Amino acid sequence: MNLVVNGKETNINDGLTVSQLLVETNVRMPQMVSVEVNGQILRRSEYDQTILREDDKVEFLYFMGGGNVTD
Amino acid sequence: MKTDTLAIHGGFAGDDMSGATAVPIYQTVSYAHKTAQELAAVFEGGMPGYIYTRIANPTTTVLEARLAELEDGIACIATSSGMAAVASAVMGLVRAGDQIVAATGIFGGTVSLFENTLGRFGVKTTFVDAADAKNFKNAINARTKLVFVETIGNPRMDVPDIPAIAEIAHGANVPLVVDNTVTTPILFRPGRFGADIVVHSTSKFINGHGTAIGGAIIDTGNYDWRKGVFDDIREVSSRAGQLAFLFYLRNLIYRDLGGCPAPMNSFLMLQGLETLPGRMLKHCENAGRLAEFLQAHPKVSWVNYPGLEGSPFRARVDKLFGGLAGGLLTFGLGDKQKVFKFIDSLRLARNLANLGDAKTLVIHPGSTIFHEFSPDQQRAMGLTEDLVRVSVGIEDFEDLKADFEQAIQKSF
Repeated sequence: MNLVVNGKETNINDGLTVSQLLVETNVRMPQMVSVEVNGQILRRSEYDQTILREDDKVEFLYFMGGGNVTD
Repeated sequence: MKTDTLAIHGGFAGDDMSGATAVPIYQTVSYAHKTAQELAAVFEGGMPGYIYTRIANPTTTVLEARLAELEDGIACIATSSGMAAVASAVMGLVRAGDQIVAATGIFGGTVSLFENTLGRFGVKTTFVDAADAKNFKNAINARTKLVFVETIGNPRMDVPDIPAIAEIAHGANVPLVVDNTVTTPILFRPGRFGADIVVHSTSKFINGHGTAIGGAIIDTGNYDWRKGVFDDIREVSSRAGQLAFLFYLRNLIYRDLGGCPAPMNSFLMLQGLETLPGRMLKHCENAGRLAEFLQAHPKVSWVNYPGLEGSPFRARVDKLFGGLAGGLLTFGLGDKQKVFKFIDSLRLARNLANLGDAKTLVIHPGSTIFHEFSPDQQRAMGLTEDLVRVSVGIEDFEDLKADFEQAIQKSF
């Protein structure tokens, strides 16, 4: 099925959980990432249970610093 | 995971490199990157990575993750003190000309920050009696940017109706900021009752041993920054989504004010969190028993503990805090002279300006932590000259009772 991950169309296997997506997409520093699905940040405890669906919009967000907020 | 497990394991599954079970202390100022291009990408926010400990640190990251999980929030920023948490959170929300609506009788340091420091920059604060939620509604105007309350005010020991106040704040599309220091997420998770931002002084019950100063800001995820009244944070939300507020703080206000925790202190807070659930239950048990003992004592003029039968706040303690009223109480001994003699006569309880320690602590707030406020202000904060504040520790109750009994006898 197709998802939008960080703004890019991505094809993944059906039934993948957020935890599995973190592994599949080889996300950087997975222990530091916050995952937003369709505009809602998931609690870490929800990563294992949340099954992704067709057309979900997934954002991997980090807030360890970096990025300009004044432009 | 349930609360007791999160307090021990939240945010940390062991150290892959060494197998260490305690969270490693990353006592470092900065973080080297392999290439100039990589560091540039981290600065631009295009790649995750640590830059500088004033902005983020791996030990502190674990503390932040654990606190966010315990508060059921979306993320957390840990700070160098509770005041740094309040200052960073509130300065992220207000500009000159804006208004804060806050509960009367909140911590004196917060009152001073709002009135004196932020007052110098053109921010006005209106203080209202938190016992009746309607007072907040009446005080909110077009310039209001936030509502601020504590879960249990001290020394008033009042418990605001947080769900009703949250509804009022949301009616005006402004966030409710709740200081959860004295209840901790063990007794109360403000986000579940409508609060938008939770702040803590982690120096108190979370640290639990009087060994480190710290604070924290947690976004509960309730306030929609994409539709909020804060233009600059709304703009950030296009890149940071629901994390917009904390992202904005991390990359501007918190970064610029420099109120980051020392890595060693983050470690001490993590140690404290591990035993917080057990300690909070014992604090509450001892405080309830001490309140009942003092209430029955013929030489004690009055006792104020929101868990006592007959307290006007007992119903809210049951509804919001699951019947656990915390470790703080106040009582009166008639006049200041007797209070001083009582404090001087205590053998176990320590006379100092802190709360939430495993040890029982007492203070005469009128002549110490509130000394800079006028008699009128002190009255509004619920202070009388005969008031003693007790932060009830987790010692054996019979030893505490004996210490209080002998000191009361000597004070008359």
